[in-house]
Amino acid sequence: MTSSQEQFVQKEIQKISLPSANTMRLLEINSNPEHCLQDVIDLVKLDSALTARTLRIVNSAAFCPLVPINSIDRAVSYLGEKMIVGIAVTESCGKILNQPLEGYESPAGDLWKHDLFTAFAAKEVARYAKNGMEADLAFTAGLLHDIGKPVLSKLLENASKTTIDALDHGEAKDYLAAEKLVSGVEHAEVGYQLAKYWQLPAPIAAAIRFHHNPSEAIEEFQPLVYAVHLGDIIAMMSGYSTGSDSLQYTLDSHYENFFTFSSNELTKIISDTETAFRPALESLAGKEEN
Amino acid sequence: MSDLVLGIGDFGVSKDPSTSIKTYALGSCVAVILYCPTIQAAGMIHIALPESKVNPARAKEKPGFFADSGLPQLLSALTKIGGPIKGKGVRVKLVGGASIMDKNEIFNIGKRNLLAIKKILWAHGLGAVAEEVGGTISRTVSINVSNGEVKIFSAGRGNWTL
Ligand SMILES: [Fe+2]
Ligand SMILES: [Fe+2]
Repeated sequence: MTSSQEQFVQKEIQKISLPSANTMRLLEINSNPEHCLQDVIDLVKLDSALTARTLRIVNSAAFCPLVPINSIDRAVSYLGEKMIVGIAVTESCGKILNQPLEGYESPAGDLWKHDLFTAFAAKEVARYAKNGMEADLAFTAGLLHDIGKPVLSKLLENASKTTIDALDHGEAKDYLAAEKLVSGVEHAEVGYQLAKYWQLPAPIAAAIRFHHNPSEAIEEFQPLVYAVHLGDIIAMMSGYSTGSDSLQYTLDSHYENFFTFSSNELTKIISDTETAFRPALESLAGKEEN
Repeated sequence: MSDLVLGIGDFGVSKDPSTSIKTYALGSCVAVILYCPTIQAAGMIHIALPESKVNPARAKEKPGFFADSGLPQLLSALTKIGGPIKGKGVRVKLVGGASIMDKNEIFNIGKRNLLAIKKILWAHGLGAVAEEVGGTISRTVSINVSNGEVKIFSAGRGNWTL
C-alpha cells in the first residue's frame, strides 16, 4: 500500500463512529469463555435504550411469543445472546454496515444481510465442531467479519471491472489478491486495522483478519476463524453476497481438522441457517423503519 | 416493463407480456426457467437445495426451496395458466449452480442441485435447451415474458443473453 493509500484508509477509519461503550462491553462479555447469560442480562438492564429495543423485538411479529414478554430476563433468554449482540451491533454499526459498496457494485443493505447470514451460518457450523466451541462468539465474529469492506470500497470505487479483469487474466488467484493488486490492501487487513482502532476483543479481530486465510490465525483462535470462514462461504453460496466479489474466494479444506459434516449435513446447515436468519433480519430491519 | 421478483425458494409464472420474471444473486442456487412460445407464458423457480428430506417443515412452507418439492409445482403452475400438461414442449433453461473456488465434494452443492434438477426434468421428458451453470460467479437472471429472452447479470461483469 502506498503512503497515500495508507493515509486514506486511516482517515476513513477515523471517520466511522465508535461502537457504544455498552456494545463494546457486550462484545467483551461475549468473547470471555467464562461468561454466562446472566452477564448479558445484567448489561442489558443497565442500558435503557437496549432494554426497550430488546423488548420491542422479542414481541415483534417476527418472533411473536405466545404471551407478551415484559421482563428483560425472559426476553434475553427467549432471544438468546446472539440476538442481543445483533441488536447492539445493529444500533452501533448499522449505519456503516448498511452502506452501498460502490467498489463492489453492491447496493445498500447487501453487506448487512451478508454479515447477518454469515453470523447464523457460523453459529450452525459451530454445532459440528469436533471439540465443542462458543457458538455465540462465532455468531458475533460472523456479524463483524467484513467490517473492512465499507472502507476498502471507497478505494476500489469504479474499479470492480479492473479487479475482475485481474482475476480473469490470472494475475490474482482470488478476489482478495485482486483487490490487493488494485488498491494495495485487502478488505480483511483494513477490517483488522478498524478492529484494532476500536479495540475489539482479540478473537473477533483474528476472525476479521483471517476469515479468508484461516490457517494463518494463531492456533487458539483457529476453530472460531474457520467457523467464520465457512459461514462466509455458505452465505455467498446461498446468494447473500456483496456484488462483484461473490464466491471468488478459496475454500480452505483444512476446516476438516475442526469440523465434521457430510454434504447432506451441509444442506441441513444451509436450510437451518435460512430458517433462523429470516425472523432476525425482519425484526432487526424493523428497527430502521421506526 | 414490470418485474415479478422471486426470492430464494419462490417460484412464479406469468402470461403478461409486459412482465419480466427475475431473481437475484444465484450462488449455488439454480434458477429453472421455462418458456412456452405458443402461448407466450413463462415460469421460473429459485431452488436452493436438492432434497427436501433435510427439512420437511421448510418444504411445506416453501416448496420451491428444494428441487424435489418445488419443480413439480412450477410445472403444474405453468399448466394452470394454459401451458402444456407436465411441461411437454416447454423450453427449459438453467442458470446458477456456482461454487466457491477450490471446493471439495462436500461444498459442491451447486452440482448436486443441477443433478437433482436434471433428474426431475428427465422424469418429465424434459431437458435444458441452454444452460449457464457452474463456475465461481454469482448470477442474477430474468426472462422477458413477451419473447422468452433470458438475460444474465453479474456484478463487475455486466449483462449478457442466454
Ligand atoms: Fe471477506
Ligand atoms: Fe464475507
